[in-house]
Amino acid sequence: MALLQRLLRGLGRGAVVTAHHAGGIGILLWRIAVATLRGRVALRDVVDQAVEMGVGSLPLVLVTSVLSGVVTSQQGGYQFTGSIPLYVLGSVVASSVVLELGPVMTAFVLIGRVGARITAELGTMQVSEQIDALLSLGRDPVRVLAAPRLLAGILVTPLLVGIANCVGLFAGMVAARLDVGLGYESFLYGARLFWHNWDMFYSLLKATAFGVIIPIISTHMGLRTRGGAEGVGRATTASVVFMIISVLVLDALFPPLFLN
Amino acid sequence: MIEYEDVWKAFDVPVLTGVNLRVETGETLSMVGPSGTGKSVLLKTTIELITPDRGSVRIDGETVGTASPRRLQEMRRKVGYVFQYAALFDSMNVFDNVSLGLPEQELKTLPRSEVLRRVCQSLEEVNLDPALVLTKLPAELSGGMRKRVGLARAIVGEPEILLYDEPVTGLDPVNTATVDRLILDIAEHRNVTSIVVTHDIEGALQLSDRVALLDHGKLRFVGTPEEFRSSDDPVVRAFADREAAAAAALKIMEEP
Repeated sequence: MALLQRLLRGLGRGAVVTAHHAGGIGILLWRIAVATLRGRVALRDVVDQAVEMGVGSLPLVLVTSVLSGVVTSQQGGYQFTGSIPLYVLGSVVASSVVLELGPVMTAFVLIGRVGARITAELGTMQVSEQIDALLSLGRDPVRVLAAPRLLAGILVTPLLVGIANCVGLFAGMVAARLDVGLGYESFLYGARLFWHNWDMFYSLLKATAFGVIIPIISTHMGLRTRGGAEGVGRATTASVVFMIISVLVLDALFPPLFLN
Repeated sequence: MIEYEDVWKAFDVPVLTGVNLRVETGETLSMVGPSGTGKSVLLKTTIELITPDRGSVRIDGETVGTASPRRLQEMRRKVGYVFQYAALFDSMNVFDNVSLGLPEQELKTLPRSEVLRRVCQSLEEVNLDPALVLTKLPAELSGGMRKRVGLARAIVGEPEILLYDEPVTGLDPVNTATVDRLILDIAEHRNVTSIVVTHDIEGALQLSDRVALLDHGKLRFVGTPEEFRSSDDPVVRAFADREAAAAAALKIMEEP
């Protein structure tokens, strides 16, 4: 009975915390939308953030996408050899990379490289009174700090996912040739066989959704940081956990919503 | 004029418990008191960096808490705020940090040479050589220089009110005297209304028209420096002279 009570209490607390964060994120999104629609976000800030996010993350995105393509191709080749026509490997690699691995692996790279940095950066600004300083100078931190990061995320994430998809596919194709001797034409034949143009749109749609939730969660967590250096550490860890869970939940929601 | 009317604020425990205070235009008021009694919290309520749980703050008769976001931004522009650790933006050099003190519209419309002139003028006013510091990042400055850059940022927009949150904390005696002198000069030359939250009693008594002592979330004393020095209140005495402070500290340590 006591265990059940503790469990229910824990669930209740979790629900309250989740609702609290969801409300905060909703308000932040609304304020960013208003600032953006009123043209009050500096384009230069958006471009700076986009360059920082995009160019800075590209090498790691390339590495993860190459490895995703190669591993998918190797595992498919191992399972299909001797049982299924090998050209089907093209379809498996294309679908896995475009529908799943490209967007999700890119999102994980952005969580680690961009999301954690945003939370730590804004959290440090919060605990060192720089956010208060901005307010005291008549500047709105949502407009100056949050909006450029969100807009940059929305612009850059689909681009990175597009690149990750192409590179992953190419890496998978090369790996298929080296590993199981599948020619490029056969691979592409298989890839085209079960291809739907919607798949690429789906992939980029998913990327855009990730491009919203990573900067918005990291910004929200950063701006509500309290308690000095320790608080920044706690906020960054919590932010990364929230971002990973959100990406995975969203990833699970996408197929029933958009693939049926 | 700044008026605090029955201001209450709690963070888990009560911090401010009904503060009433009026700071006249052009006056310099120093606020002293033990650590954790809500001096900085009260200062932050002035421009709604912290919202009081109860009560109100008025600047020139206008209630800060009920102002629209746009009006609040305009009211904040009338106020220069000097933060305890300067709160300079780490990624920006001194020029960019100080120029942020100018209203956004002016920053967009003024020629860069005019912005530079005003930034340099502010830096010179706080005894910093623009040629030496303008392109430096905050991390490349000493603590005293950072405080003075923070002060330059607060005055570059020519505010009518200046709020200082422990402007000399962590500074050596020479830098403390320099910053105290600057506060006095700025108050005299610019005729601004100033509130200085400080632990530096000597400085407070020298530069203020009035001294307020906040204790356990309430104002325990408000009066001139002379009245402060001659007060019989034991808490005020503990702040006013070192011997009384040492006796009070001994009493606290001896308590079981």
